[in-house]
Amino acid sequence: MSKKSYIIGGVVIVFAMVMAARSFKSTLTTYVTVKEAKMTDQPVQVAGIAVQGTKKYDFDRNVLIFTLREDSGDEMVVEYAGSKPANFDDVNKIVVIGKYAPQKQVFQARQLLVKCPTKYEGRVKGK
Amino acid sequence: MMNFGNLTMWLALIAICISSASYLVLNVKKNSTVARGAAHLSLFCFAILVTIASISLMYFILDHRFVYSYIARYSCRDLPLEYLISSFWAGQEGSFLLWVLLSSWLGLILISKARDMEPQVMLVYNLNNIFLMILLIKQSPFQMLSFTPVDGNGLNMLLQDPWMVIHPPVVFLGYAAFAIPFAFAVAALWRREYDRWVNAALPWTVFSFLTLGAGIFIGAYWSYKVLGWGGYWGWDPVENASLLPWLAGTALLHGMILQKVRGRLRKTNFVLAAFSFLLVIYCTFLTRSGVLADFSVHSFVELGITGWLVIFMFVFMAISIGLLVVRAKEIRSVKEAANIVSRESGFLAAIVLLSTSMVLIGLGTSAPLITRLFGNPSKVSTKFYVDTNLPVAIIVLLLLSLIPLLTWGANKVSKLAPRLIWPVTGGVVSGVVTLWNGFPGAGVFLLSLFAGAAVATNLFLSVKLIRKKTIASSAAIIHLGVGLVFVGIVSSSAYDRTQKVLLPQNILKNVMGHEMRFNGAAISTNTKGMWLHLPVSVKSGSHQFMARPDIYSERMRGGQIQRYAHPHIKRGLIRDLYLSPVEYEPGQKNAHSGSRFYLEKGKKIRFHDYELTFTGFDISGMMHRESSGSVSVGADILVSYKGGNPVKVKPVIRIGGTREETNKVKLPGPQQAYITLVKVDATAKAIGLAYEGPACAAKKDAERSCPALIAEISVKPGMSTLWLGALLILAGSTIGISRHWPK
Repeated sequence: MSKKSYIIGGVVIVFAMVMAARSFKSTLTTYVTVKEAKMTDQPVQVAGIAVQGTKKYDFDRNVLIFTLREDSGDEMVVEYAGSKPANFDDVNKIVVIGKYAPQKQVFQARQLLVKCPTKYEGRVKGK
Repeated sequence: MMNFGNLTMWLALIAICISSASYLVLNVKKNSTVARGAAHLSLFCFAILVTIASISLMYFILDHRFVYSYIARYSCRDLPLEYLISSFWAGQEGSFLLWVLLSSWLGLILISKARDMEPQVMLVYNLNNIFLMILLIKQSPFQMLSFTPVDGNGLNMLLQDPWMVIHPPVVFLGYAAFAIPFAFAVAALWRREYDRWVNAALPWTVFSFLTLGAGIFIGAYWSYKVLGWGGYWGWDPVENASLLPWLAGTALLHGMILQKVRGRLRKTNFVLAAFSFLLVIYCTFLTRSGVLADFSVHSFVELGITGWLVIFMFVFMAISIGLLVVRAKEIRSVKEAANIVSRESGFLAAIVLLSTSMVLIGLGTSAPLITRLFGNPSKVSTKFYVDTNLPVAIIVLLLLSLIPLLTWGANKVSKLAPRLIWPVTGGVVSGVVTLWNGFPGAGVFLLSLFAGAAVATNLFLSVKLIRKKTIASSAAIIHLGVGLVFVGIVSSSAYDRTQKVLLPQNILKNVMGHEMRFNGAAISTNTKGMWLHLPVSVKSGSHQFMARPDIYSERMRGGQIQRYAHPHIKRGLIRDLYLSPVEYEPGQKNAHSGSRFYLEKGKKIRFHDYELTFTGFDISGMMHRESSGSVSVGADILVSYKGGNPVKVKPVIRIGGTREETNKVKLPGPQQAYITLVKVDATAKAIGLAYEGPACAAKKDAERSCPALIAEISVKPGMSTLWLGALLILAGSTIGISRHWPK
């Protein structure tokens, strides 16, 4: 192989690594509080409970809407377009992963996990 | 506690240690028949003992011996036989036992296949079994409780599916098999024979590829069928845990073939063999040790075997790296003149691309571990996996549509050109179909384009090779399968249409071109919980069927309710209709049946689809007082259905006797709706009516008050293509095993 092809290969690899690293960083989500979630435009995850009676569906926009309250008592409205986990109404802890949209004042969840107080180790999914 | 089960496991550990020691002796005294005999005998004993342990666990499960903690946690009395059997591997301890069991059986076969390399191969292979045994003894499925529960907890409802009965054995067969190419690789380094091991190990690599691949596809199929979230792959750590070794194994497969045919990549193959095996352990560590506990919804809980898994991993890493460093200098690969346009470059590219994908997915899966070093443990979202693997997949498919047309060594472009008709046609067809359905974005469009091209090329080759010599068609069939899987992935993810809908009972609703009517809920129960059957009749075009999704809920020990939504899938050649129940709303109680309302004389009211006007009493019945002392009163009511012509109805009530008697009067219109006169208030000139019938009108405001099913309906094109592709991959690799089986 010639020197030239090594250089081209090297450039491609470095480029790919940079892209992968950027994607890695930008999709990393860490646990934050409701307050912090409202401050950042990064995807984050917030844990809390769904406030009773706030759950509703917007069938035109295809989303599930509910209010999430974390332990500190802070609340935010969450919108979620994916499938509702079957255990949503029974669990005491919900984790939403997504971004807060300040102009709409709602947290747009891309993923919703339920933490179930179950005896099982089995899988419960909310994607 | 030492009981029968634990005793057999300790004996098994001793047996496998004796076998390993004998192999060590055999490595020094090459021709010692005593050592060889002892090694074989103890290995045989090991397999027998592990089998006995497994049989006894199975027997205890079938016999409901809940004194064993494991059995109490994962099974119960009223499980049907097939799920009693699968509760064997429902938890961590049992699945380790299953792993060892399969591994011990493979070991027996391996003795005869390893031939003269046996002492080294079996020593390494045994070492893996020793570690598994240690883990198993640390986490014994035979641990006993201090009391005997009356019944067990039962098997997680989600695992009560035929596919989940076979999924773990298939995956663990793959896991167990990955130790074999590794054992051969280490043996080869040890013996300084850098080529021969490839021939012996290749069929096992294909076997691992087949079994782990089958496990992955079964898991994906189960996820699609049972979990109800509408997908088949969620980039969950447990899913990635089987994908990572599989990708490494696929890279190894290509490397081994390249070495077998062209004598290249001698060093790389050692690295790949080590990698695929180490990834099995690493992934076990990730999913079983609890390090990801917060991040995977279904990694097994922390059980305190983390330390052992880490030791396990480091020992094997040290062995592979150490040997490779010591021997690296003397390993020479064949150097070839660089032919860029050749099959070799394709193989090299395949290895690079598969490794890239493996690294990316490995990085993503390990994110919580990596980020823990710098602060808050975080995980990457699924977007990371999709975004980074998309370009890799595009190149893979592009190569798959071209490389198989090439020969080894130099290729003449003039010879190649006429064959390009296949990928070009396939790509064009796929591109046109894709554009017809809407431009999905540049990346996905390219993916779809090349997936079509790859399908066409490999379809052509498969047909050609099957005619010529079936056994040579394995690669073409696998690659055809890969192309089809990607066609399926693209169409089902880029063209999936999902809609949340409210289906009020008995009201016809049009959802994405399907007429749907929710027929009302029915309940059935078992000892633990209840099913809410939510039948929906669906009419699409001339085709009509009944979808039967249900929601099962059961009450747990702690009093919480666990719920499972089972989707109904109507499979089609082109697209699947996926109907997943989200929620059932019983509606306001009185709206359902027997709802009552008042009518004042002369006032028109609307009720559901009806307009009713009470025009006056008919007291003609009062004229002839009966012997019982009762009188009949009728009410003249004008009813119109959906604004149609008013029809006169007259419900009657007989009062004053020992009990009231009423008659039911059918309302006009097509529905089975009735009213009954239940109250007469002569002074207020009003009547009370009871209504029975379809609870709901099509009116928007009425919808909230009637029973309704909230469902998620999706139309998923390409699912059949995906499963067909998966089947072809498995079929192709089965042919591949016999192709590479040493003669």
